[in-house]
Amino acid sequence: MNQLVPTPANFAVLNNNQMASYAKETFEFMKLALEQANDALANLEVPVGCVFVEDGEVIASGRNRTTETRNATRHAEMEAIDFLVQQWQKNGLSPLEVSERFSKCILYVTCEPCIMCAAALSYLGIKEAYYGCANDKFGGCGSVLSLHTSSSNLPTSNSELASSKKGFKCTGGIMASEAVSLLRSFYEQGNPNAPKPHRTLKQQV
Amino acid sequence: MKNTKSVSPQVSEIIHIPEKPSFLPHLQPTVNVLASVIEPKDANTLVRKLNQIAPLENLQHVKRVRKKCIDGGKPQLSLLLCMTVGNDDGEDDCMPYEILQLVKSYQLSTFITRVCKYAATSKEEWDEQCKLWPTSYHPPTYNINGITGFSEEESQLVFGFMRHAITLATSSVGQVVNAAVIVDPSTKQVIASACDQVISSASLANEVSKEGSCSNYLENLKAFNLENQQTSLLDGSIGEFKHITNNVACLHPWQWALQSSGCWHPLRHAAIVAIEYSAARDLQLFPDYKARSPLKKQKIEESGFQSNGHSYQLLRPYLCTGYDIYLAWEPCAMCAMALVHQRVRRIFFSSPNSSAGALGSVHRLQGERSLNHHYAVFRVVLPKVVVRNKVVDGKTSGSG
Repeated sequence: MNQLVPTPANFAVLNNNQMASYAKETFEFMKLALEQANDALANLEVPVGCVFVEDGEVIASGRNRTTETRNATRHAEMEAIDFLVQQWQKNGLSPLEVSERFSKCILYVTCEPCIMCAAALSYLGIKEAYYGCANDKFGGCGSVLSLHTSSSNLPTSNSELASSKKGFKCTGGIMASEAVSLLRSFYEQGNPNAPKPHRTLKQQV
Repeated sequence: MKNTKSVSPQVSEIIHIPEKPSFLPHLQPTVNVLASVIEPKDANTLVRKLNQIAPLENLQHVKRVRKKCIDGGKPQLSLLLCMTVGNDDGEDDCMPYEILQLVKSYQLSTFITRVCKYAATSKEEWDEQCKLWPTSYHPPTYNINGITGFSEEESQLVFGFMRHAITLATSSVGQVVNAAVIVDPSTKQVIASACDQVISSASLANEVSKEGSCSNYLENLKAFNLENQQTSLLDGSIGEFKHITNNVACLHPWQWALQSSGCWHPLRHAAIVAIEYSAARDLQLFPDYKARSPLKKQKIEESGFQSNGHSYQLLRPYLCTGYDIYLAWEPCAMCAMALVHQRVRRIFFSSPNSSAGALGSVHRLQGERSLNHHYAVFRVVLPKVVVRNKVVDGKTSGSG
């Protein structure tokens, strides 16, 4: 799915000074997300990976599986979410309990969640997200749309609280250059699954 | 925001929902820019410099130079310097530094003027735009069937598939959900169909739809004629209907946790499930593609992959390229973006979604130019479902 993620030139990278202020564990978890992205690359998938962390522990991981499934919505986040929902249901958790578990989750993902994933994360009501590189073309956490920001009117009752639009804190630029270089290697090898372009590509100047 | 006609329409209608809200040609939104009259001999140099230091990023349609003939036929050139920053009175101190330097060295006297914010989508709009400041106009180069109108035969097909989607949406006992039907318009075949699977009691409709997902739509219609009677029941009872639309996933995507019954999946909205079914169908019909190992793939690449890739495309579609989707309700942001990813060609929905709709109501994904794929969006108004629209609009406008 070549076009699902923009070309590396479109990814923003924070400088090292901005990096210094994050906790060490932030990088440890992002490294695990990068491992997932690496696994995607090894399987000829767009290299994006993620982990979900609850109370300091990784409870799920995921990576792109769009080529294998021929389903372009099978992004890393969706893979990890499906795993969690399935497991929690198997353990007999009610919808409200599943919602409570998600509200404690922190997501580490190598690329800014796209509009679809950002909306999904808001529906689930996760606590927080850290991402690597920004996604100028599809990003739903500030680049194209800002679906991670919550509504301004505060809920007045419990049932309203459970059903109102939820926002989550979102921080980008964590190990962005690592995320970009993975994507770059994917594009260099070319995406065999993309259709032939309608127009011939511009000649290199 | 969106007024449903108070009188039920007697005829069915297909309304194109464009990439941007439509304005009367003379009421197009504008933005202020900083400009200056210049000497014709400086034009080339200045344009080149400005394109470097102040590219017109969101105003690609606006021309940099305006040529006006003043008395005696002597042309006067005005140059657009940059967007205005901060206050609009044109004071030097709110200009970017590089622009300020240019203004000084060429002794420009700047003024503020207005240009149209969006590219013209019609000749009429373009004519109006050029009265303010010249812009370029590119008639749409892509040609998605229907934007310029539907033939009678096409319309009847669209209405038929939409009725099918609405029947699906209302076919489970005691509740209404969203339904999605993916269609290959070239063969008039249903590729996949699904209902919301957010709560388990929606399972009934899904069992049926999954079974019929690859069959001809006329057969499907026959199968759903029995349940269809419930639709009319719902239409007759507004109060009941209002309560019942609580289960439409795209209308209330944050509400899943309130379900008391066993939760199926908070994100299994109808469109997401239909995409999954169509992908499964693809895998089933063209299994060889999946079996290809990384090693084998490498070989193909080495031996000139291009021709292989090409012949492949003739055999099977790439994702949902060329397919249409019919939805009872306007999809939410998650579903609308999923349909971008899966390369759907046209989206038809029946009822707008003022609380969370992403195709014109809250967001307008078809107008986000940075996305790599663009579909055409249509609203299909059917006489029988107008009551439903009114109820849904009335219910959600307060909270949205």
